[in-house]
Amino acid sequence: MNNTLLELKNISYKYKNNLILNKVNLKINSGEKIALLGKSGSGKTTLISVLNGSIKPTQGEVKLFNKSFEELDRKQKSKITTIWQDLRLIEDLSAEQNVNCGLLAENNFYFAFKNLLNISSFKKAHKYMQLCRLHDSVYDKKIRKLSGGQKQRVAIARSLIQGSNILLADEPFNNLDPKLITTIKNLLLENVDKNNTKKSPKTALVALHRLDLLKDFDKVIGIRDGKIFFNIKRNNLKKLHLDKIF
Amino acid sequence: MNKLKLNYTSLSFLPILVCIPLGYQLINNIHFGGFKLFQEFLISAFNPKIDNEIIITVINRLNETILIGFFSWLVSIIFGAIFGIISSNIFYKIFNIPIFFYRIIRFFLTIIRSIHEVVWGILLMQIYGINFSIGIIAICIPYIAVNSKVFAEQLETIDYKRFESINQINAPKLSSLLTIVWNPIINTFKNFGLYRLECSIRSTVILGLFGIGGIGTSIFLSFQTLNFRELWSYLWSLAILIILSGLIFKKIKFNNTNKILSIFFIAVFFITILSSFSYFLYFIFNNNFENFNSVSSLFKSSSDLGLFDFLKLILETIILSLLSTGIAISLPPVVIGIFNNNTSKIFIKIFAFLLRLIPTPVILLILLTFNNPSLSLAALTLGLHNAGITSKLLFTNLESQERRNYIAMKSLGISKKTSWLLGLFSQQAKSYLAYCAYRSDIIIRETAIVGVIGSVGLGWQLQESLSSFAWQEVTIVLIAYSSIAIVGELINGKIKNSLT
Repeated sequence: MNNTLLELKNISYKYKNNLILNKVNLKINSGEKIALLGKSGSGKTTLISVLNGSIKPTQGEVKLFNKSFEELDRKQKSKITTIWQDLRLIEDLSAEQNVNCGLLAENNFYFAFKNLLNISSFKKAHKYMQLCRLHDSVYDKKIRKLSGGQKQRVAIARSLIQGSNILLADEPFNNLDPKLITTIKNLLLENVDKNNTKKSPKTALVALHRLDLLKDFDKVIGIRDGKIFFNIKRNNLKKLHLDKIF
Repeated sequence: MNKLKLNYTSLSFLPILVCIPLGYQLINNIHFGGFKLFQEFLISAFNPKIDNEIIITVINRLNETILIGFFSWLVSIIFGAIFGIISSNIFYKIFNIPIFFYRIIRFFLTIIRSIHEVVWGILLMQIYGINFSIGIIAICIPYIAVNSKVFAEQLETIDYKRFESINQINAPKLSSLLTIVWNPIINTFKNFGLYRLECSIRSTVILGLFGIGGIGTSIFLSFQTLNFRELWSYLWSLAILIILSGLIFKKIKFNNTNKILSIFFIAVFFITILSSFSYFLYFIFNNNFENFNSVSSLFKSSSDLGLFDFLKLILETIILSLLSTGIAISLPPVVIGIFNNNTSKIFIKIFAFLLRLIPTPVILLILLTFNNPSLSLAALTLGLHNAGITSKLLFTNLESQERRNYIAMKSLGISKKTSWLLGLFSQQAKSYLAYCAYRSDIIIRETAIVGVIGSVGLGWQLQESLSSFAWQEVTIVLIAYSSIAIVGELINGKIKNSLT
């Protein structure tokens, strides 16, 4: 349980002379479920982008499986999946094609080609879409024709189908109704496969706004102005902590 | 005193001032020797030759034109897409290739497209002789580079976040590239591909005037023999072809979710690539390269072209481009603004269509019947032809625009012309100027065509040098042409960016 999967050492990130992350140190161990709390603009999204290797920090070191990002091969990098706050789906593709994009890492070029031509198999995609409570009428609809909640679930299905054991999610419960939030939260935090059977425990770092969703997390990290203010077990979270970051 | 402030509307009208020096020179150059010919040319438009012989010739020549136009379009659009991908920044980001290579390939494509297809055609004809495939190759070379620019520009508008999201899945790089570029490529093809087919057909006609074959050659031969009735039979048949193809294009709607259609397009894509390579190899190994020896001495032979003469030709080409661009920008809004009623609009549209239809060398030859060859005449020709194109765009934009402001102004008692100017045109002026900036790139390249016939600028010098096999001069002229076109493209790019 204590082997470190992801590690940030003294990370700083500057953008146009603004210090977005300021000397951040963080260790994420295997199987840990961490909630990341902070106001808008506190640096949550940037922290997630640094963790998944999308942006290179101005200073410091990011390690995955004890190796720096440059040393990792493609398969190792694909162990991380991200649900972005702005979803980043491909608007011109259908919902099922977008979900199938999650399978690109484990397939060859021919699969990508068939997916774009709409002649690949969507069976696996449909199963994950069903898990996310997406109705079959939306499967072949273009992303731009879906509602906010439907888009959110397509992004989640795309992430789940990747079968990665490290999840980074930025406000994944936006646009979802309360009943769906519980279902989706269980899907994201309990590592389930397409048959809805549990697999090895998933490691997750999820950026949140709502405190009522903290229940299933082991740890809580509070971030403000690019600095980590606390990194504690959920049970130890006090109002005092929240006052520091909100 | 208030400072003069230029806005997009006034900038659209200001270039009309080029008509002052232009008109002065044209009036001085009028001769009355060819008025009868001109009159005959106009009358023949209403009385074209129609008999069995001409119908068979028209069908055969149009077949050739369609074949050359279609194949050059197919090859140039496919290779244009491929080069568009490898000259877009997204390709270099995915494959982590140093940006240095991106600049090299962009520069190479800029040089290729800076030389007009007519110049490529004349050059290739000198080497390989007159040949059906020379037409296709001559069009394909600059068109691939032009199309690649359009595709690359579209790919560079892709949201960076989309790239980041696919990249983060850590798929094989080729899969990521394909997934990211697929839809922008398809959409560019949908919006732009069919227009390029029309351009290919027009270019085939122009190359035909220089002997490549097709309807262009027949137009030129009938003009040489002053057989205007026959000439108009060819021109009207070309008009019918362009109108029909336009109507067909409007009906065609590509549905890229149709599996069978998608597979068909993919098959065409690969067959075209394979056939192009096979043909290229066949062309290389089955051609007589005797003339190539003379081309290989491009850098050896001496040149009689003096520096002063050469600079004069460059200056002439630049002035020719500026004057033509001025006419192409300002003439449509001036004419549409002045003759702003429904009957006039119909006549303006017909006139603009004829200006687009009749190839520039033919317009120039017609104008030469009553005016001496001069820079102004060449500029007028090029300007009129391009005004035909810009006016089509202006009409389309004005007709699709909301007319509320125009109606509101008219209801206030403001005159029809002023209401049109402030209520309609002013809202289109910015996008119109942006399109004209793009058009001026093309005008610079087209100076070669009118130059060849109108004894003006580098185009004329190129023809002279090619005819006398003065290869060093040819090289110098081509380098000068490229440099002018590249500088023009850079300036127009800056203007376009500031307007969009």
